[in-house]
Amino acid sequence: MAVDITLLFRASVKTVKTRNKALGVAVGGGVDGSRDELFRRSPRPKGDFSSRAREVISHIGKLRDFLLEHRKDYINAYSHVMSEYGRMTDTERDQIDQDAQTFMRTCSEAIQQLRTQAHKEMPSQQVKEHRSVVLDFIEDYLKRVCKLYSEQRAIRVKRVVDKKRLSKLEPEPHTKTRESMSSEKVSQNPSQDSEEKPVTEEYPEKVPAESQPELGTWGDGKGDDELSPEEIQMFEQENQRLIGEMNSLFDEVRQIEGRVVEISRLQEIFTEKVLQQEAEIDSIHQLVVGATENIKEGNEDIREVRTFGPPRPPQCGTKSGWPDHLAGAQPPGLPT
Amino acid sequence: MVGVKMAAAAGASIRERQTVALKRMLNFNVPHVKNSTGEPVWKVLIYDRFGQDIISPLLSVKELRDMGITLHLLLHSDRDPIPDVPAVYFVMPTEENIDRMCQDLRNQLYESYYLNFISAISRSKLEDIANAALAASAVTQVAKVFDQYLNFITLEDDMFVLCNQNKELVSYRAINRPDITDTEMETVMDTIVDSLFCFFVTLGAVPIIRCSRGTAAEMVAVKLDKKLRENLRDARNSLFTGDTLGAGQFSFQRPLLVLVDRNIDLATPLHHTWTYQALVHDVLDFHLNRVNLEESLGVENSPAGARPKRKNKKSYDLTPVDKFWQKHKGSPFPEVAESVQQELESYRAQEDEVKRLKSIMGLEGEDEGAISMLSDNTAKLTSAVSSLPELLEKKRLIDLHTNVATAVLEHIKARKLDVYFEYEEKIMSKTTLDKSLLDIISDPDAGTPEDKMRLFLIYYISAQQAPSEADLEQYKKALIDAGCNLNPLQYIKQWKAFAKMASAPASYGNTTTKPMGLLSRVMNTGSQFVMEGVKNLVLKQQNLPVTRILDNLMEMKSNPETDDYRYFDPKMLRGNDSSVPRNKNPFQEAIVFVVGGGNYIEYQNLVDYIKGKQGKHILYGCSELFNATQFIKQLSQLGQK
Repeated sequence: MAVDITLLFRASVKTVKTRNKALGVAVGGGVDGSRDELFRRSPRPKGDFSSRAREVISHIGKLRDFLLEHRKDYINAYSHVMSEYGRMTDTERDQIDQDAQTFMRTCSEAIQQLRTQAHKEMPSQQVKEHRSVVLDFIEDYLKRVCKLYSEQRAIRVKRVVDKKRLSKLEPEPHTKTRESMSSEKVSQNPSQDSEEKPVTEEYPEKVPAESQPELGTWGDGKGDDELSPEEIQMFEQENQRLIGEMNSLFDEVRQIEGRVVEISRLQEIFTEKVLQQEAEIDSIHQLVVGATENIKEGNEDIREVRTFGPPRPPQCGTKSGWPDHLAGAQPPGLPT
Repeated sequence: MVGVKMAAAAGASIRERQTVALKRMLNFNVPHVKNSTGEPVWKVLIYDRFGQDIISPLLSVKELRDMGITLHLLLHSDRDPIPDVPAVYFVMPTEENIDRMCQDLRNQLYESYYLNFISAISRSKLEDIANAALAASAVTQVAKVFDQYLNFITLEDDMFVLCNQNKELVSYRAINRPDITDTEMETVMDTIVDSLFCFFVTLGAVPIIRCSRGTAAEMVAVKLDKKLRENLRDARNSLFTGDTLGAGQFSFQRPLLVLVDRNIDLATPLHHTWTYQALVHDVLDFHLNRVNLEESLGVENSPAGARPKRKNKKSYDLTPVDKFWQKHKGSPFPEVAESVQQELESYRAQEDEVKRLKSIMGLEGEDEGAISMLSDNTAKLTSAVSSLPELLEKKRLIDLHTNVATAVLEHIKARKLDVYFEYEEKIMSKTTLDKSLLDIISDPDAGTPEDKMRLFLIYYISAQQAPSEADLEQYKKALIDAGCNLNPLQYIKQWKAFAKMASAPASYGNTTTKPMGLLSRVMNTGSQFVMEGVKNLVLKQQNLPVTRILDNLMEMKSNPETDDYRYFDPKMLRGNDSSVPRNKNPFQEAIVFVVGGGNYIEYQNLVDYIKGKQGKHILYGCSELFNATQFIKQLSQLGQK
């Protein structure tokens, strides 16, 4: 472990001083010495290189402090729980971004200037090397601070892009309640998706096309709450088209209704007629049955006549073989 | 919080501790906290060669940049004034360094000065600086002065060496040369003890010290014990109390420090090896975790033409982030070759995956315009993009290891290192030899003269009885014919005579190596590591002498070899060296330090040993790190006298 002997050194300095005084050696001891030191400081070229280098460093330090201070607000404003104090509007964020960018540009320009100047002056090799390494350090510092900024920015951009992507799927833009409903939006979207599939296919293409220019130019100060006029017009056109479609659908439905009513009436008539026909068919059926009986009986009578001859009237009380009903009757067709 | 985290890695990673200490120092001596939107601060780092050696294995240039260091310069170089920038110094408190620092103060090079001394600075030198600061009217500019106590180099999580710059001062040769004077020895010992002291301060623990008698290690132990004791007694300035203690507070056991002398085992540094890290150290130019390769271009598909092959110098850093290295640095070489092949295949599969993704992306991106699909693709793209750096890194590592392993393989094939390894293992384990030693030495194809010398020395060292005069003459003649220098043999003879007097020579245990057939699986899968004719040898776990000693001491086993080791406990009130250890329980943590030099083979052996034991940690340190070539050179110099 290292031992700090600075105090020992200072003690040695005192010892040497007193010893020199005692010996009467007038080499740089006492009050004159300290004045000499002061004098030696001022005429010595402070080296404006290092003072400017330190200036640049302090600038970068200010930028870093500024970014760190507002970092929380910058990122936090995206949470849904918003307090009045924590909220940062987009204009403020854009302001921060712009300021940071100009700052960084000036810093790197300053570093470049220092570098060229260091090259122009003709110091010794060692001093030159030292200065270039110092400038490397400063550049590295600037890079680290820029990383802070770019991280913040990346988070912001990502969130905006995601939000744009989700928000395009809603049919009607709700300017005020959009942010608070973004959570509901997500659940709405799947159901809306299925209904408006043909509509939404247009949007993914529009979203990248629109977000590209928007990412580049944040300067127009638009938030998601308001829609640009083109969007409004587009929505109106779409509305019109939808209404037309709805109307035509409605007419068709009416027509179909009428036809269905007709069909039902015709069917009623049909049913009546069929019932009538049924009655007639029944009576015909009866008649035919009766006719069939009569013919049957007639046929039998004829057969009997043929086999037994014509029927004789009964003489001696003996019965003839003729059935009674035919006994008195004249066989038809036989001459008497 | 930090204390709990350190307790979880209690005593394990010296590398982490040293890195944390360095980072704190670079952060103006204030603990370093990572802040993604922090303002940049810049500073320059000034170090001497010692500081450079300490920092370079731990922090890469990129990591230095991350700490805000714009320039890193050597102290003794021409430096221009850079206004308005604080300077962090990390130097040893030597005379020249102090002088140069005072000069800097006088020249008003920087705006403020943070002085950090690698090891503690003396009061008088501090006054010298104070004097200069006063003279230059720069007293207020000296913002902080620290004693860092970091005077050691950490190479691995559990391995450290003392120094790299002045290793001749503490080398094996320096300690063992016959003409060393007492004062010189004192200096060497002081250097070693200073570094060890810094090591324990950084570790945050006071160890229990065991050492063998009658060796340089004993001298180190005595001095270290004294230094620790003095520091503990000085309650005001003690470095081992309060929050400096760190994780030591949470582990109830103290670590064991085993100090061994190189002389107990001279065969291991000469040994030919078979594990990846040790091979790289032995065969290639490797130090401070950096390997320097000379690549000749066009080895495999040389362009038709008479253009000579150009040599490319490439250097690679083998760091803790390199997962392949961490996994395989202790593996036998054939396994390494296979693994590189596997890694390459899995990398290709991943690459294909990315390419496929790219083509899918290309097709889909045209049809869809909707943003949800786009964000889906964006997510895929983001993941592919983020995995790209990983893939590229993987590719870089695969290339690195392919190059290194190929270089090693070339050496193995050219020098028949596998044959040497097998033979030496047999010698060291006293199994029967199938080929006579003379044959190998006289064989012109197998190995460089140095390899043969190594083999012979190992044979000589491990032989129970010295070979007869006639045999010896025969061997010597064969060696000279092969082009060897016989000086090391001289020294080893002397050493052996001395060692025999002192104690029985170390035995290396029973072990065998099993050749797994000449045609390895690697060759069958058609990899680029054609190990034709190279034996696929498998290492069986054996304990080298150092490991055995550690095992005995750590587990409190009784063994004639270690029973009479001395015992030091700096925390005990009565400072006497009783040979009776007070602590009867086995130790959980141990630090093995070899006075006189160490190498990766011993390190790997210790790592393998401790792998089997749950919850125990070992740290390995040595006064210098040498490979066989460097050691032979030292032996040769010693033998010349």
